[in-house]
Parts: sequence; C-alpha cells; structure tokens
Amino acid sequence: MMAYSEDHIALAAEYALGTLDADERAQAESLMSVDKDFTALVEAWQFRLGVLNQMVGSVEPRPEVWDRIKAAVGVSEPQGPLLLPEAPPPPSPVAPEAVAPAMPADAINVIRLSKQARRWRTIATFTTAIAAALVGLIAVGAYQPDLLPDAIRPKPRTQVVEVKTPQTPAPPSAQYVAVLQKDGGSPAFILTVDAATRNFTVRRVGAQPEPGKSYELWIVSDKLQRPRSLGVIGGNEFTTRPVLSAYDPEVVNQATYAVTVEPQGGSPTGVATGPIVFTGKLVETVPPAAPPASNGR
Amino acid sequence: MLTPAELVWLLAAVAKGDEAAFERLYAATRAKLFGVVLRILRRQDLAEEVIQETYVKIWNSAGQFNPGLSSPITWMASIARNRAIDVVRKRGEVSIEEEPTAMEVAADSPEPLARREMTEELKRLLECVGRLEPDRQKLVLLAYYNGWSREQLAAKFETPVNTVKTWLRRSMMDIRECLGL
Repeated sequence: MMAYSEDHIALAAEYALGTLDADERAQAESLMSVDKDFTALVEAWQFRLGVLNQMVGSVEPRPEVWDRIKAAVGVSEPQGPLLLPEAPPPPSPVAPEAVAPAMPADAINVIRLSKQARRWRTIATFTTAIAAALVGLIAVGAYQPDLLPDAIRPKPRTQVVEVKTPQTPAPPSAQYVAVLQKDGGSPAFILTVDAATRNFTVRRVGAQPEPGKSYELWIVSDKLQRPRSLGVIGGNEFTTRPVLSAYDPEVVNQATYAVTVEPQGGSPTGVATGPIVFTGKLVETVPPAAPPASNGR
Repeated sequence: MLTPAELVWLLAAVAKGDEAAFERLYAATRAKLFGVVLRILRRQDLAEEVIQETYVKIWNSAGQFNPGLSSPITWMASIARNRAIDVVRKRGEVSIEEEPTAMEVAADSPEPLARREMTEELKRLLECVGRLEPDRQKLVLLAYYNGWSREQLAAKFETPVNTVKTWLRRSMMDIRECLGL
C-alpha cells in the first residue's frame, strides 16, 4: 500500500465513505477492476468504516421483497410458509414520508458515544460475544481452510441456462427468456421473466456501456401507445425489477424488448432518446408445472 | 441476529447454492441491510430495489467472501451501501431544498447502542472520529450514514464544495493515521 499516492488513498477512502460523485465512483470502480491492490485498499476502508452500521437501526422490508429475490435468483421451491423463526412479523407497508421519521442512528449521538468509548477503553477486559466469535472464526480460517468452502474458488452460476433445460426440476410457473442482441450477433443481455410474478431479471453477458452512458430497457408492443421504460439496466451483472407486473401478461409475452443507449441514469424524459442497440422477444422455456409436489428444490 | 460465525457458515453454504441457507441468511440480515439503505435512499421503493439487487449479488458472489478480511455483515452491508450510493449519485443530486424532512431527520431520532453491543472495532473507529474537530466529526458521519454528496454537505455546513472536499480528505487521512492503516 505504500506504493499508492495520497490521491489514491483518498480516492479509496472517499469511495468507501460514499462522497464521490458518479464519475469519480466510476473511475474508482474501473481502477478496482484492473488493480487488485487498489481493490484491497478500498475494501480495507469499507471494513473499517463498516462497523458504523452497527449504529443503524433495523427496518423490516416488506415480505414481497423476498418473493422478488427468490424469483430473481431462481430459487425454485414452491410458495409456502417460510421457515423464519427469528423474524418478527414485518410492519405493514408504509408511505415513504412515514418511513423517514422512524429512521435511526443520529450522528450527534454517535459523537457523544465516541467520548464514552474513550472511557470504556480503560475497562480491563471487555470482550463481546461478537468479538469472541470473530476470534473463533479467524481460527477456523487459519487451521481448517477447507471448512470455508469456495472462498477461493467461486463457482459461476448459470441459472439462466438451467432455466432453458427441460430436464431441470420444474419451478411452479412458466419461465420466459429473451436474448437481447444486435442483428443476430452475440448476446448482450439475457432477459428472464417469471410468468407468475412477472418479475424480470436482466443478466448482462456481453454489453459494456460507454462511460457516461446507460443502457435502458424498453417494452415495445402494438398494444401500448408508445415504448415504455423498464428502467436502466446493465449497471450490475444482474438487474431485477418487478415493473412488468403493471402490464397485461399477453402484452408482456408478445412484446419486443429493446435496449437503447441513454445519458447516464437513463432517459431524462421517459422517452427513448438514443439509438436502439439490442432487441429480442420472449420465448417460453419452462411450461407451467403441475402443482409442485416432490421436486420443491 | 445470528453470530458472525453462524453467518460465515451460512455464506459458505450459500456459495454452494444452498437455498435454505440463503433464506436463513436473508431472515437474519434483511432488516439491518434495509435500515442501512433506507437511510441513504429515503424511499421505500428504491430501497427495496437495492435490497433485491444486493441479495442477488450475495447469492452470486457468496464464494468471494473472505472471513479473514471482514465480518459477514460488514461485507454484506458494503454491497448494499455501495449500491445505494450508486443509485443516489446516478439519480442526480436532489437539491437540498427538496428534502427538508431529510435534514430534520438527520438531527433527530437517536438510537444509542448499548455498549455491550459495540465491537472493539467500532469503539476504536469512534475514538478516531472523535479526535476530529466537532464539525468534521459530523461531516464524516453524515456522509457515511446518510450517503450525502459533497454538495449536500456543503449546503448543510454553508461552506463551499471545495472546502468540504478538503475537509473530507483531511478527515479521512487523520482517521487513517489514527487507526494505523
């Protein structure tokens, strides 16, 4: 780390703190993608600062969020009672305005606590259960590395491909896939739609947006008056959204999906402004299953 | 909340594609991660979207978690927080006048943490933050907890953006020295 200039160290620190603007964040991220040591620098800051999240209060997300996550990752178990014994019942949905005042962890209070923290240092032994567990954990990592599987060899997941295989244990609903590409060229995005939830997931496979530009996904149908935006995609490898639930299933299944190049963050007007670069249509890959029985997983 | 050791086991199982472990991991961590991103995004719909993307990413990259470098919850919260910051930065800056309630919130609603719940790492960091000048303590913590941009911080502190930039940089360097990084 000595090799890095103060500018690099500051960039890493401010990336972790969150105060960089979008361009600087992109710059830091591209540096991270080519420079492992810079990544380590950023991660060191993230881990140091990350303890601050201990002060942030918990807020239960709505149950639907889990349904969407399950659909997005292709967890194929049937809908049923979830085994979440330690989870308190989530609060009923609240309006954004109502959410704000409930928010926790005041900065001023943290500072007051930081003064107390100084005094606490003098307490001879103060080991939390968490700290003790951490020690145990490091011991496991040091002496029994094989008990921490896959930490060094992450295996890629290809649930999109699995979806296409008819022999795959059938999920409880039909799955649709569209390969978004340019003139029969190699795939740029793979769009999957779960027919039951109408959640869609876009997986980026070959497309890289130009700096300062974003890819935006549109649904195009003769049953719609104009193309409708499904949001910016491609910022991450996977993008998952529920927005198709607003459309009639027939429209969803028969529409053309198009990707345009827009200013960063998406079209400012809600109307596509850039050229269409990739298109595709959905095909059904897994027909609706019989009532889920023995093949829950 | 499960212990870090339990979370490490769950992450290891998730890395192998264990769906039941993923569900337990979600149950154990969702409220903390949602609290973190909701505070930054201040909109339920955006926060839900970020949480969704976060857990998809956790599902896909659990094998990359290195327990020697980080605690599981910090690793997961970093994914969530980075995504939330990306979203607020890319949405373009919301002018400070548009969000008066956000400003009020930042000054209220304390949630003191029982000291037995604080890790040594947190106490050490807070001690270093506490050595900064009072204004800069606040600057750093508002930036971290609320995900504010330099522009928003400049408005809050009634200071030019360039000054905020200098303060932030110097503060982080002071914290670095104090932590012995």
